[in-house]
Amino acid sequence: MLQNPIVQRELIGMMRTRKAIVIQASLVVLFALLLLLRWPVDPIADVTGVKSMQVFKLFSYGILTALIFLVPVFPATSVIRERNSGTLALLLNSPMKPTEIYFGKLTGVMMFVIQLLILSIPSLAACFVMGGISMQQQVLPLYGVLLLVALQYSTMGLMVSCLAGSIDSALKITYGLVLFMSVVVLGPHLFLQGATGSLSSIASWFRCISPLPPVMDIIGHGDVGAQGMDTNINAITNYIILSLSLTAVFILVALVQLNRRILDRSRSAGVMTHQMSKFAQRFRMILYMGMDPKKRAPLIPGYMNPVLIKEFRSRRFGRVHWMIRTMVVCVVISLFLAIQSTVYTEQWGVDIIGGIMVVLQVGLVVIITPSLASGLISSELESGTWRLLLLTPVNSRRILVGKLLSVAVTIFLIVLATLPGYVVLMVIDFTLVTQIWQVCVCLLMTCILVLAISALVSSLFRATATATAVSFSIVIMIFAGTFLFWLGKGAPFNVETVEKALVINPLATALTIMGTPGFDAAEFQLLAPQVMWKAELNELWPALQVPLEAMGIQRISLPLSWNWVITAGISFVCFVLFYVRVKLLTKPQ
Amino acid sequence: MSDSVVVIENMTKKFGEFTAVDQLSMTVERGRILGFIGPNGAGKTTTIKILVGLARPTSGRATIAGADCVAESHQIKKLVGYMPDKFGPYPNMRVREYLDFFGAAFKIPKKERKARIQEVLEITRGTYMQDRYVEALSHGMQQRVGIARTLLHDPEVLIFDEPANGLDPEARIEMRDLLLRLADLGKTLIVTSHILPELSRICDEIAIISAGKLRASGTMVEINQQLGQMRMVEIHLDGADRIDEAQDIVRKHSDIAEIAGSKTEELIRFRANLTDQAMASLLNSLILANIPVAQFHEVQTDLEDAFLTVTKEDRAKMV
Repeated sequence: MLQNPIVQRELIGMMRTRKAIVIQASLVVLFALLLLLRWPVDPIADVTGVKSMQVFKLFSYGILTALIFLVPVFPATSVIRERNSGTLALLLNSPMKPTEIYFGKLTGVMMFVIQLLILSIPSLAACFVMGGISMQQQVLPLYGVLLLVALQYSTMGLMVSCLAGSIDSALKITYGLVLFMSVVVLGPHLFLQGATGSLSSIASWFRCISPLPPVMDIIGHGDVGAQGMDTNINAITNYIILSLSLTAVFILVALVQLNRRILDRSRSAGVMTHQMSKFAQRFRMILYMGMDPKKRAPLIPGYMNPVLIKEFRSRRFGRVHWMIRTMVVCVVISLFLAIQSTVYTEQWGVDIIGGIMVVLQVGLVVIITPSLASGLISSELESGTWRLLLLTPVNSRRILVGKLLSVAVTIFLIVLATLPGYVVLMVIDFTLVTQIWQVCVCLLMTCILVLAISALVSSLFRATATATAVSFSIVIMIFAGTFLFWLGKGAPFNVETVEKALVINPLATALTIMGTPGFDAAEFQLLAPQVMWKAELNELWPALQVPLEAMGIQRISLPLSWNWVITAGISFVCFVLFYVRVKLLTKPQ
Repeated sequence: MSDSVVVIENMTKKFGEFTAVDQLSMTVERGRILGFIGPNGAGKTTTIKILVGLARPTSGRATIAGADCVAESHQIKKLVGYMPDKFGPYPNMRVREYLDFFGAAFKIPKKERKARIQEVLEITRGTYMQDRYVEALSHGMQQRVGIARTLLHDPEVLIFDEPANGLDPEARIEMRDLLLRLADLGKTLIVTSHILPELSRICDEIAIISAGKLRASGTMVEINQQLGQMRMVEIHLDGADRIDEAQDIVRKHSDIAEIAGSKTEELIRFRANLTDQAMASLLNSLILANIPVAQFHEVQTDLEDAFLTVTKEDRAKMV
């Protein structure tokens, strides 16, 4: 296999990139820091090995997170980049078989991963000499799982790369799948644990798609949000079975694509409805209820911001019919959860149902927003359309507003479509009104924060693929990475550290507000909204006193979470920087 | 009376230490087609970027129809239609929607926009592709959509960067016809291209830029004079017997740069710096020596020769 020229080219090509050097250097620094932070300073030796285990746990989570989020970047762009540059045609035209090309690429990525794992050995050795860690029980199984993770995520990235139409869409889909396979799959089990029935056992199997349960099992960390409950399912064995099965599926799908057919895709003829038969025209009119995507779009009205309309039209799923479809799916899921909550209220409780809804909503925002916003400016810079835009009289403010609104409106509509479930929750338990209102604020803050970060990143890079990768990395670190501290609550992290880490995470705040198990408001006081300002009626501005008095309100108070304040601050800074950057980009050079 | 639409005065553009455009001065008259040529990295695109308001000159100034390219950039956007060498497609957009967006961006009222889109598509003969996806068009089709886009707001000056680049011969002829049609509509055109024979066929004037400096400008004849271009002369003889003797007379007569004789073709071809009087004197000498001259004529030098003269000189300077 090492004789395969693709392996050599992929590996050397990858090693030469600045990205690879940054990843390697960052990992070495990260591992060293983790050890330094947790290295015992007590002169009395710990013979029980508890402290070394704490360091080992931190080390394991660190390396797992790094692998999950960094490894798929390389294979996800590998095939599509070659297809765009034309080198894939040269490869397919050579005597090399598609399997050789595929496994050459896969081996290249895996060798890079092995290098990363080798870089972690000095830190592991330092951890090992502290004692209390078993080579057979912990170190070897951990590295085995890590290799499986790398294989599973690399094959997934390669599959997406073979299917995607562009580099940035490949990255968006890959990161969406990464988030799904590592975090979202944990959700059902988190909420259904302890319950009986097939749904619960499916959920406990389903969570084993994620590498987190087996790693937690290896380091003796129990289960995700286990609350003292133990499952009789072997997470390691299940993960091995599921991971290898998924890897086989990913390889198969990629190999079906990776042949001459990948280059033999016809251009769309762009047939419109009025060019079809009368029957087809009538059928489409009924099918699309008057919103036929193949009907000529109306001209942009003079009062509308043309950039806003352009953003919707040039987006793959930005047209009205796609928006409606997405919203319908969101409404259906939301109502399904609401119905579940009415059926199983006693068994699950509204706090669990509310928690599931919050996780799904935030997951939706975290997946969709960067994929829409990270290409706002970078895609225009990359395709050369930015220059064309600057030739028109549209000023930077209009460009900025049009672009931000195009993402904000989409996200707002999608989130809005997920809200009906809360109405049902309120009918079941009216005391939840305040909590639901506060959760909605968390959702709003999530949307604003993710939009602000992604938009800023989009203006900093000229390649959409890089902007997408960076946006997803930052957002995932905020929304999923901070949960690593929560997983380590008690040991190695104390509650204050976990609270400080979660204070930038609106999802954790929403879960705390909903009273989801594991997120105690009394424990996480920085997250739970506190009354930060209150006033009697006579202390208010006179113009406000009259209407408030008419409503029978005697005093008003403003409960705020520190999370809202911090996310609002970060978002504000990001928006200001975004504005400055766009202003600079619109100026003549 | 001169009616200059584009005026560039002592314009310099520096990127750090590197001078991309050096004291460039030139004008383009209304309704004329200017071919703007030069080797890669000569400063053509930088000059164009300044003209359309995408870049600022370090010193000097440029105006279009009296509007300053820096101070009145908003006005410039209305006056100029620019097609860069890179098309710039938006994904998932059809041609009509693409043009509609730029029409709306140029604030063309909705009522007029529909007719305007139709009009520019007719001018560029692209009506049939209005429902196609922009990114799925062939290169030639994209170039036509690009030109249609530049025409939308009916600008006075059109600037095309490499419009014939990558086009097949048939599409190139169509492009040439299209540019001539635009000139007939009264537009002033600045066209850059590396396909020089195409350019020389349509341009009224040529400007040659090299290392940021204007090396020559004007009609082809004026350019030859400015570049001190040597004249190429062919002498056809009636028989090949006295071809060597004829070559000796030519050599004695003037400072010859190159001379070649072909006995099979019964022909002598040479390059020399000759005035019309010197040419007449040479012909007289040949006739007096009883050389059987069948034809004595000057071969017209073309744009490629002028371009090569400039690049050769630059290369010599670099060495």
